[in-house]
Amino acid sequence: MKQPLALSQKQLIGGLSLILAALFLLSLFIGSSPIPLFQAAHDTLLDTPSVIALILSEVRLPRTLIALITGATLGLCGAAMQGLLRNPLASPGLIGSASGAALGAVCMLYFGLASLLPMALPMGGILGALIATLLVYLLAGRDAGSLTLILAGVAINAMALALISLLLNLAPSPYAVREIVLWMMGSIANHSMADFQIMLPGILLGWFLLIGTGRSLDALTLGEETATTMGFSLPRLRWRIFIAIALAVGSAISITGSIGFIGLVVPHLLRPLVNHQPSRLLLASAVGGAILLLAADICVRLFPAGTDIKVGVLTSLVGAPFFLYLIIKSRRYML
Amino acid sequence: MSKQLFITLLLFLYPLSSQSAEQPAHVVSINLCTDQLLLMLADPAQISSISYLALEPGSSFMAEQAQQYPVNHTKPEELLSLKPDLILASEYSDRALIQLMRKLGYQVETFPLPSSIDGIRSNIKQMAQLLGQEARGQQLIKQMNRRLEQITRQQPALRPRALFYQPNGYTSGKNTLQNAALQLAGWRNLAAELGIQGYRAIDIEALLLAEPEQLFTSPYAPGSQSLAQHQLSHPALKRVTAGREMIEIDYKLWICGGPMIADAVEQLHRSLPK
Repeated sequence: MKQPLALSQKQLIGGLSLILAALFLLSLFIGSSPIPLFQAAHDTLLDTPSVIALILSEVRLPRTLIALITGATLGLCGAAMQGLLRNPLASPGLIGSASGAALGAVCMLYFGLASLLPMALPMGGILGALIATLLVYLLAGRDAGSLTLILAGVAINAMALALISLLLNLAPSPYAVREIVLWMMGSIANHSMADFQIMLPGILLGWFLLIGTGRSLDALTLGEETATTMGFSLPRLRWRIFIAIALAVGSAISITGSIGFIGLVVPHLLRPLVNHQPSRLLLASAVGGAILLLAADICVRLFPAGTDIKVGVLTSLVGAPFFLYLIIKSRRYML
Repeated sequence: MSKQLFITLLLFLYPLSSQSAEQPAHVVSINLCTDQLLLMLADPAQISSISYLALEPGSSFMAEQAQQYPVNHTKPEELLSLKPDLILASEYSDRALIQLMRKLGYQVETFPLPSSIDGIRSNIKQMAQLLGQEARGQQLIKQMNRRLEQITRQQPALRPRALFYQPNGYTSGKNTLQNAALQLAGWRNLAAELGIQGYRAIDIEALLLAEPEQLFTSPYAPGSQSLAQHQLSHPALKRVTAGREMIEIDYKLWICGGPMIADAVEQLHRSLPK
């Protein structure tokens, strides 16, 4: 086995963070109208900020921040899920967490609860994600192979999407039906700082719960029995990761809609760079996910104004062929 | 010789035919906009049926007056059983239905959707003529003109910048009733100045850069929630207008062109900064 790239964790995270920082700045520069960014940044400090400052701080910054933490969440949760289930095809999108979260958010938003209590929106997302994830896990069984897991995920996804369509058709708002595509593909356009603040607590809590799971996931690569004899409690680990994913993915998706394939693709791309070590993969995937979603959102914004392409369309266009490649690769192993 | 005969015939027929066209006795309207003009201009006895939308208080200005008439759901079977001598529809009503009714020998008249005050006047005139109620039509137009003139006489020295903003970021540019009403009331319509034609979405950055002093909206389904409607509560919108709340104008005043546009213009005029 040859080592393709021998990078230390510090080098890898440092490099990825540099790319992320560059994209972060770039994304603030890109919008439908060109504005002098440095002047705008300076103006945000004034007592009565100018219009360009308003565009920077209330339109572009929230969009960039939401792309960043949503991408990070999806990448991180994908890595954690793949580590826990020891299954390369596990990810929030395929296992139903994302569509469950979207369903939960739809319940809260269109029937009035979220307007009474803003936090109801991420709560709905969290609950939906948790239920969907647990259902898939129970349906597939504990030692499910890739195929069983994917099939259970397909079933729960189909169910959630059908319920979303049904609810949006029944919703009192005349605009609801047209928003089905938004929940299925995901979009981070037109959000405000308030939306960012709403999604933040759940996401941070989820990240926090995932931080400490690295060593257990490392032990798990040696097999469940070995991990147990090493003193790691598997049921506790499982619950911790499921709840963390529900918190983080649920909060993120309740604002952005279900953005596909980031949780699947990013851990795979980075795994060779971290020596296939789950504990190192977690942080790397978080930064990688943020990079991927931010880059996708920048691409979406480069389309001429008026062509409202959802960012999820782009991530799926990249992710779906990759998914096929993974399936073909795993078939070769089976033969 | 034959020409003379023709003319005599014509002279002979003219009063007859105009009389029968003058006062149709069984008028059916299948569109919200024609419903309202019909209710304003016709004798109650002339009205056979109006569309079910005329009863909806959110979109129909004449909802109260509409209650005493049977409603239709624009189904051909319904229309046939009403035996109408005049069917009123909008240009955008169901084409197939209109063609079917014409083929069956019914008189179907369509009205354009007006995008200006002149368009409203010509619609009123057309409706009054068809109903044989020219005097009422004149009266209605005169009333509307008087109210509009009163407002245009008190124009502010400096017209403040306004923008009409709807769910999904839609705004009204040139050739819309909202544009006409904003101008008459003494506002500048930024959407029109940005070159927007008709009813179109405006990007939020472009909106902010135009620096409106006041935003107006017409909630179509007040009380319901969606992401499209959530866009109206973006905090940047309130900050760019220096904390001024978005002002709501009743949707029913301009979903259809009619003399009620004067109400909208008056509301817009009242909301000019003092």
